[in-house]
Amino acid sequence: MNIYEIKYAFQNLRKRKLRSGLTILSILIGITAIFALLSFGIGIQRYVDTLADEAGRDKLFIQGKGIGAPGTDENFFLAKEDVDFVSKIKGVNEILGMYFKVVEVKFNDQKRFLFVSGTDTSKIGFMEESFSIKVIKGRKLKEVDSDKVALGYNFQFPDKVFRKTVRLGDKIELNGNRYEAVGFYEEVGNPQDDTNLYLTDKSFEALFPDSKDKFGFVILSSQKEVKPSELAERIEEKLRKFKNEEKGKETFFVQTFEDALATFTTIINVINGMLVLIALVSLVVAFVNIMNTMYTSIIERTKEIGVMKAIGAKNSDILIIFVVEAGLIGLIGGLLGVLLGYIISSIGGNIAAASGFALLKPAYPLFLIVGCLIFSFLVGAAAGYLPARRASKLKPVDALRYE
Amino acid sequence: MKRSIIKLDNVWKIYRMGHVEVNALQGLNLDIKEGEFVALMGPSGSGKSTAVNMIGCLDVPTKGKVFLEQHDISKLSESELAQIRGRKIGFIFQQFNLVPTLAAIENVMLPMIFQGIPEEARLKKAKELLELVELEDRMRHRPSELSGGQQQRVAIARSLANNPEVILADEPTGNLDSKTGANVLDFLDKLHSEEKKTIIMVTHDANLAKAAERTEFLKDGKIVRTSNNRRSG
Repeated sequence: MNIYEIKYAFQNLRKRKLRSGLTILSILIGITAIFALLSFGIGIQRYVDTLADEAGRDKLFIQGKGIGAPGTDENFFLAKEDVDFVSKIKGVNEILGMYFKVVEVKFNDQKRFLFVSGTDTSKIGFMEESFSIKVIKGRKLKEVDSDKVALGYNFQFPDKVFRKTVRLGDKIELNGNRYEAVGFYEEVGNPQDDTNLYLTDKSFEALFPDSKDKFGFVILSSQKEVKPSELAERIEEKLRKFKNEEKGKETFFVQTFEDALATFTTIINVINGMLVLIALVSLVVAFVNIMNTMYTSIIERTKEIGVMKAIGAKNSDILIIFVVEAGLIGLIGGLLGVLLGYIISSIGGNIAAASGFALLKPAYPLFLIVGCLIFSFLVGAAAGYLPARRASKLKPVDALRYE
Repeated sequence: MKRSIIKLDNVWKIYRMGHVEVNALQGLNLDIKEGEFVALMGPSGSGKSTAVNMIGCLDVPTKGKVFLEQHDISKLSESELAQIRGRKIGFIFQQFNLVPTLAAIENVMLPMIFQGIPEEARLKKAKELLELVELEDRMRHRPSELSGGQQQRVAIARSLANNPEVILADEPTGNLDSKTGANVLDFLDKLHSEEKKTIIMVTHDANLAKAAERTEFLKDGKIVRTSNNRRSG
C-alpha cells in the first residue's frame, strides 16, 4: 500500500462528502454497537475473573435446589446434620452453613423487604473471604452481638435503600426487633448483595426460631492437594447417599465457585454474543452500502480510470486504489464507531453503577480497539473488492471514451 | 537512417457492433522515426482515434502488427501494455484529463507512481517539469483552479514524467482558444527541438499540422497522402 493511494482515496472521499458520510454512517452504527457490547462483555469477564481470584478457586458451595435465591424458598435448605456430615468428608477444609431469609426492614418509618444472613461469628472471616468483601466502616460482628447488625454498602447512601442515610449506631428494625448498625461492607456491585443485612447465627435463630439449623447456603473450601471439582463430585455422591436420595433427584447441588462463575459468564457471553450477532447484521447492510457506493463512484470515475491506465496504471494498481478507498470508508466508520461506542458504553457503565450494578463496568483493552479498527477496514476493503475488480478490468480505450 | 520508433504494419481493427462489422482500420501502414514530429490528419470516421489507440498501445490490432522500438506489442497483455505505455509514451489529451482530486504536482507525479519511482525522486522530477511548463507557482492548485491552457501545460508536464521517447498528443489544442493553443503548440515544438522527443500530434486543423515536419492524411482506415512540411529535411 502506498501513501499516495491513501491520500488519493481521502481526497476522493472528501470530494463526495455527503455520499461518503452516509456510507461511513452505515458502518459506524454497526461498529459502535459491537464495540459497546464487547467492552461490556470483556468488563464483566474481567470482573468475574477478579472475583474468582479474590474468593479463591478452592471454594465450593452447597445449596438447596429451589427457585430463586437462597432464603426465598422455605422448602429448600441443608440441615445442620448434612453440614456436619459434609465437614467430615475427606478433602473438606473449612465449612460454613449460612442462614438466608427475606425480612421486613424498617428504618425511620420506611419499610423494605431485604435479604438477611446469619453467620457463625467464628467463621465470619471465612465468609468475607468467600464473598470477597470487607468491612470498610465500623467493625465486623462478634459473638456477643445479639442486637447488632452489619450492613451492605448501599445503606450508607441516601435514597439507595432508605431515603435517609444509615449511620453507625443507628437503630434498624427487623420484623419488629431493633438492631444497632455496627459496620458497613464494601461495594459488591449488584443491588442484592449491596443491600444485604448481616446478623450473627445466634441472633438470626432468635429472629427466626423455625429456621434453626436450616441453612440456605453452605460454603466450604477444599484442602490444598484436592481439586475442587473432584471434591464437588465426591460431596454430591456421599451427601446423596446420606440423605437417601436418587441420582438426578437430589434436593441440593454442589458447585465450585469457579464453575458457578463460569456458568454466569457463559450466560453473559451467550447473551452478549447474540447481541453482537445482531450488530453484525447491520454490518452486512454496511457492506452492501459500501459496495453500492463504490460501484457508483467507479462509474463516475470511468474516464479517470481510463486516464490512469493510459499513463501506466496496471490492473492491479487500479484494484488496489479502489480497495484502499473502500477500506478507508470502513476504517473511518470504525474509528468513529469505536469513539461513539466508547462514549455510549461509558455512559452505560455510569448508569449501571448509579443503579447499583457496579459490576457492569465496561473494559477497553487495546486488542478490542485495534480489532474493531482492523475489522472495519477489512469489511470496507472486502465490500470494495468486486467494484474495484470491475474498475481494474475496464479497457483503457473504452474508459477514456466514456463521458 | 534514423531508428524506427513506432511502426504499424498492415494494421486492421475490426469492431463488431451487433451483427455489423466495422473496419475502423484497413491495412494501416505507418512508420515513425526517432525524433520526428508527425501530424496525423483526417476527417471524422477516418479511423483517426483507432489509429491513436494503436500508436499509444492502448489497444491491440485485430490483424497486423504494431512495433514499438522493434518489439511486437500486438500480443501483449493489458498489464504489460500498461507498463510500456507508462514508460515509453506520454499522452496529451484534448480534454486535458487531469485527475480532478489531485493537485497539479500530484497529477505530474502520477505516472511515476505507477512505475514505482520513490517519493523523493518523483517530487523532484515533478517540480522540474512544472518549471519547464512555467507553472511552478501553480503546483498546489487543483485542475479546477487552473485555466484550460494551464491545465494542458500540466498535462504536458505529466506526459514527460517518465521521460518517454514518444509524446502522443490527441487534438491538444482542440479545447483551447487560438492564443493559448499556440502557446501549447510552442511547448510541443520546444520538446521536439530541444528535448529531441518524438511527437505525434493528431489534429483536424491544417494550420497546426504545419508545425510538424510531416503530415499523414488518414481516410477510410489507411494513409492516403503524406506531405513533407517546410522544416523537414
